[in-house]
Amino acid sequence: MLRPLERFGGLVLAGIEWVGGLTGLALRLLRVGFKRPIGIDDIAAQMVQQGVRSLPISTFLSLFIGMILAWQFGWALRDFGATMALGYASSLALVRELVPTLIAITVGAKMAAGMAAELGSMKVTEQIDAVAALGADPIKKLVWPRVVGAAASQPLLVVWGNIIAVFGGMMIAEWVYGVPAGYFYQTYIDELVPMDYVSSLVKALIFGVLVGLIGCFQGFSTKFGTEAVGIATTETVVATSICIIIADFYLTMVFF
Amino acid sequence: MEHDAQPPRQDRTEVGTPVPADDLAPARPRTPIIAFVDVSKSFGDNTIYAGMNLEVHPGETLTIIGGSGLGKSVCLKMLIGLLPVDSGRITVLGTDIGTADDEVLREVRRRVAYVFQGGALFDSMTVLENIGYGLREHTKMGDEEIRARAKACLEMVGLEEKDLDTMPASLSGGMRKRVALARSIAPQPEVILYDEPTTGLDPRNITRIGDMIKKLQRELQVTSVVVTHDMPTARKVSDRIAMLYRHRFPFVGTVQEMWQSEDPAVRDFIHGTLRRPPAAHGSHAKEHHGP
Repeated sequence: MLRPLERFGGLVLAGIEWVGGLTGLALRLLRVGFKRPIGIDDIAAQMVQQGVRSLPISTFLSLFIGMILAWQFGWALRDFGATMALGYASSLALVRELVPTLIAITVGAKMAAGMAAELGSMKVTEQIDAVAALGADPIKKLVWPRVVGAAASQPLLVVWGNIIAVFGGMMIAEWVYGVPAGYFYQTYIDELVPMDYVSSLVKALIFGVLVGLIGCFQGFSTKFGTEAVGIATTETVVATSICIIIADFYLTMVFF
Repeated sequence: MEHDAQPPRQDRTEVGTPVPADDLAPARPRTPIIAFVDVSKSFGDNTIYAGMNLEVHPGETLTIIGGSGLGKSVCLKMLIGLLPVDSGRITVLGTDIGTADDEVLREVRRRVAYVFQGGALFDSMTVLENIGYGLREHTKMGDEEIRARAKACLEMVGLEEKDLDTMPASLSGGMRKRVALARSIAPQPEVILYDEPTTGLDPRNITRIGDMIKKLQRELQVTSVVVTHDMPTARKVSDRIAMLYRHRFPFVGTVQEMWQSEDPAVRDFIHGTLRRPPAAHGSHAKEHHGP
């Protein structure tokens, strides 16, 4: 009886420790990040690495999300003879929820895993210590550009994803349900209010910060040995996905 | 934090500026440049140091020896604030490391270079960018000046200008160590910390690195702390040797004093490493590595 309780207690304590560590990193980042120099070059490099290189997968993902959702809604609406409302039905789900969340879970988890692997390798080869030993602050040099890069990249990818998802929906509307693509587009846009776009971008921004923080924290927390890098990377994907879903829940509560 | 008055430092504007012979006399009884006072450090239940004391004097090369996993590298990492101490006090160049804020630590790290065991070169940067990293952090030098300094440092460690634009991944183990050495001397430090500088190298490179440590000592007048368990290197480069044993340094003395020591721990360590005592300081013709 005691053993499962002990195990549960251990998990809770480990979770609290993890959240504490992540919060500590965030606070330290706030303290050093805004000090000059801001590190524009490093941030730009990270945006290219994380954002531009994620464009193909974001495009692919968004196109299929748009197509799948339009197909599903169209199927349900057809029973009521309401396929012409397909644009209205799809827009809110895509813009408010599916595009930002799914891009964060897939592309964001990929970014975070990449950061964890890179920083984890640097940790085990003492490169992070070397940064500090050479007089630089590893938080400022390594964490700041990655977090800012991820936070800036996610909203841009979501904007792009929203555009592509509309195209996906338009294709299915036209080819499968006979709804003119232009009409689908018009009804899609009509349904949205500015707050929908704002919530989509704010979600993406916060997911981006989470992605950067978790990726860097996991990298910095990597134990020694190459196996540890693999473990840290895997854990990062899980932690990022869970944190994004939880954050999504609270953000949805705030916005709606 | 504390800033004790330090003797004025000779202004070295160029790497490789010869130092007057009078200034090279090692281990003179001066104010220690580095002092560990009653330092304790543990990782969980694993005690590394308990009430440890050690002093390093300006201009000398002190080698820390001891078995693997005893915490020799921990000593160096505590010295530049990469690891905190549990209790006690570490003073480096007049600064109490335990109470130093980020800016003070940054200044200490400009003056104290660390050569990591595996080199710890930044994989994503060229040799030039690696060597220039500390210069960009601490100086306002332009690209041309950094390149010139990097070239000079590279030549000091026996590499060529053409190596500047190569990536660390394409270098051999010995070359990586030498680039790491070049990176550490580029900001013209006053103290160099070597963490197992010869580990994993072939005998030719071990000799070369040992020679290089002596050369840097001679030409740059730096104070050096070398962590190693390679006794030939220790004998070659050291002015004094400190032996880590049971969380402290029970023996600190010259190489000759070490071999003459009656301390059982010292004798055990020597006989476990070398089969017979050396004929003279600096000679290692009759040395053999132990099992």
